[in-house]
Amino acid sequence: MRIAPKLGLDEMDRRHVSGHRPGGPDYLGPLRRHVDDGDLRLPHLLYDDSPASFRLWNFLLTEEDRLRAARASGKKLVGAMKDLGTAPVLAYAFPELTAFYPDGAWWIPCVMELSAGLLGIADSVGVGDSFCPVRAMLGAFLTEAHFPIPDLLTCSVGATCDDFSAIAQRLNGFGYPILWWEIPHRRAPDPDEPAVELPGGARAPAALVQFVEGELERVRAGFETLAGHVLTEEALRDGIRQANRVRAVLRELRELAYGSDPCPVPALEMLIAEMLAIHFCSDRAESLAVLGEMLGMARTRADHGVGAVPGDAVRVFWVNPPADLRIMNLLEDCGARLAGTDFMFTHALDPLPEDMPPMEALARAALADPMVGPAEDRARRICVDCERFGAEGVVVARIPGASHCAYEGESIARVVRDRLDLPVVELEAPPIIDAVTPGLRTRLGGLVEAVQSRRSGR
Amino acid sequence: MALPDSGLAVACGCPFVPPEWVRAHGVRPVRPVLDDLPAAVPMGVCGYAAGYAWALARAPVQAAVFTTTCDQMRRVAETIGRECPVPSFLFHVPATWQTAGACGLYRSELERLGRFLCRLGGAAPDRNTLVEVMEAYDAARRRLRDARGWLTGRALVEAIRAIHQDPETALDTIPMSGPMRKGIPLATAGPELTEGLLGVLDFIEARGGRIALDGTTTGERSLVEAFDRRALGEDPLGVLIDAYFGGVPCAFRRPNTLLYQWLKREMTARDVRGILFIRRLWCDMWAAEECRMREWASVPLTAVDAEDDGVTVRMATRLESFLEALR
Repeated sequence: MRIAPKLGLDEMDRRHVSGHRPGGPDYLGPLRRHVDDGDLRLPHLLYDDSPASFRLWNFLLTEEDRLRAARASGKKLVGAMKDLGTAPVLAYAFPELTAFYPDGAWWIPCVMELSAGLLGIADSVGVGDSFCPVRAMLGAFLTEAHFPIPDLLTCSVGATCDDFSAIAQRLNGFGYPILWWEIPHRRAPDPDEPAVELPGGARAPAALVQFVEGELERVRAGFETLAGHVLTEEALRDGIRQANRVRAVLRELRELAYGSDPCPVPALEMLIAEMLAIHFCSDRAESLAVLGEMLGMARTRADHGVGAVPGDAVRVFWVNPPADLRIMNLLEDCGARLAGTDFMFTHALDPLPEDMPPMEALARAALADPMVGPAEDRARRICVDCERFGAEGVVVARIPGASHCAYEGESIARVVRDRLDLPVVELEAPPIIDAVTPGLRTRLGGLVEAVQSRRSGR
Repeated sequence: MALPDSGLAVACGCPFVPPEWVRAHGVRPVRPVLDDLPAAVPMGVCGYAAGYAWALARAPVQAAVFTTTCDQMRRVAETIGRECPVPSFLFHVPATWQTAGACGLYRSELERLGRFLCRLGGAAPDRNTLVEVMEAYDAARRRLRDARGWLTGRALVEAIRAIHQDPETALDTIPMSGPMRKGIPLATAGPELTEGLLGVLDFIEARGGRIALDGTTTGERSLVEAFDRRALGEDPLGVLIDAYFGGVPCAFRRPNTLLYQWLKREMTARDVRGILFIRRLWCDMWAAEECRMREWASVPLTAVDAEDDGVTVRMATRLESFLEALR
């Protein structure tokens, strides 16, 4: 088995800047240029040595340019907040609209190593460190320095985390109009209540799906006003088909990355790849191409027995997105690899139904959000994926200050232990893990050792 | 008139769950008293949410109603099933409130709660029963409003709790007259007060302040306006929904403009000269409002920490300074 090396930033640039094909995307270039722009974390990460990963990183890091170019070309920008996967599908059905998640600003403190001062700005407006790092989004809006201010903001509220709801309200209080839409708590249907199956396997009362459909109709009306025309059903169906193409490629990539031995794609690149699902990194067609190239790379490596990590790496299922990207490198450094993930948006990975009215399909998808229902539902799906990918242990990454993290870890751990008898470790990763790396290494290392002991005991 | 009473009781503390609706089904709504909180609370868990679960386990109730007005309580409702022996009901109170859809969802949740109460042993009320129960609560709240001038802050909170549980009995405990309270008129704002925090109200009133407006969740903010008596006979459930869903101001609503409209109106009417903000660690919905309210208010605002659960030396110094500055 050969192991594909990981490279530092400058080596990554040396190997791949000149290697890209003529006629390739115009956003490719040295990653170092982003460091010069303030993305100070980049030199501290280790990257997968492949043209596909080089393209992936370039695609991610040039999103702001893409948004500004979209605006300059006459497109309207939609800032979809919180729902993580549904509103952009609707937005991209309009050729006049480009959608993104301002929530993504939560990584700015990490990527810029706190140099942008966004958390300090949030502190100054009363949103302190008892809130999760998405409070950086407030700073991003108030400085207008990290993404163009959208023409329309939407935000799902109701069965959502308190942090985000409060931060969005604070933003609204600063004069940013928001189209609020309700996502109700996904409860189990009563015995005599008509119910439907949602993508991902959960069930919900049909009445709740109808309600969410009504809410998404309001969002649709907002988009129609912004775009200047009505959205036809065929255009929406096409939008769903296009989204499903992206999801299908990502699904196959995940199957290979998490299910294969050796593991062909490192954890950090898989985290970035999965993120493309929620709003296509502001370019749906290009996200498909980027993921397609990642998939091609993964297939080639799988066919040739090339791994991104040693073959005996402990298979870990990871729950929740980490506030610091570097922890994905650390995971592998500790002797583990990813064997499944739930980055809080599994509903953005499942195929959208194409055999029903499209608005109903979107409503079902929105209700399938793992954060909208009980943590036990989420834990059950985690167990299914753990079995599918052969996970040997689970890491629950607490997001500092996030309201759901105070409770879900215990629920998830209990279900995983009861059903699968797998070890579960909970750890908290701040936006910069450097000071706490020894402690994180100990906890991850402990999980790895526990699994290795089990292996040798069998 | 004897209100319906099956002998059952449910824990039901949220101001968005009309006690009239619960009582009309013959079940007494009880607000658990949070007076002996758990010593250790897990990191990230709101003290009130943990305390509620703690109090619930010892409350003489046959069921518990939780709501989704905050994620903490939504999550507590999920975990409580394992720790509490009584059945629980999670009521989704829409955060949005300006659409017919949201109002319709609230109505359907009320109806679903009604079915839960019937399964518990209650009985669905006919229109006349619901009207009579609503009139009893309305009358009690009217008496309470009339008595505001001479009730202390603590007495007002206790009266609200008593009305919630039994409006007819509570009516007898609200004094019809008394000496008008004097002092610097203050407003409070924030989430629920625990029993320990009622001491803050006592402290203020003993040092020259007066709680003219209790804008905490356990205070006057949770009281609905008088019912539309003309519509009450025709559509009591509609009147109830308008009053509660359409009328209770709270930080969690999106947008939460009603809260600031209510504060402005009432603070102006009562000549409030300062705001005492209650902040609770991990209570994000209110925590984000402190700075905003400070910017918005035309009067000084001071904040105290709910975790102190009583008047600590630090809090006493802060409150005394605040009152002194307002003199």
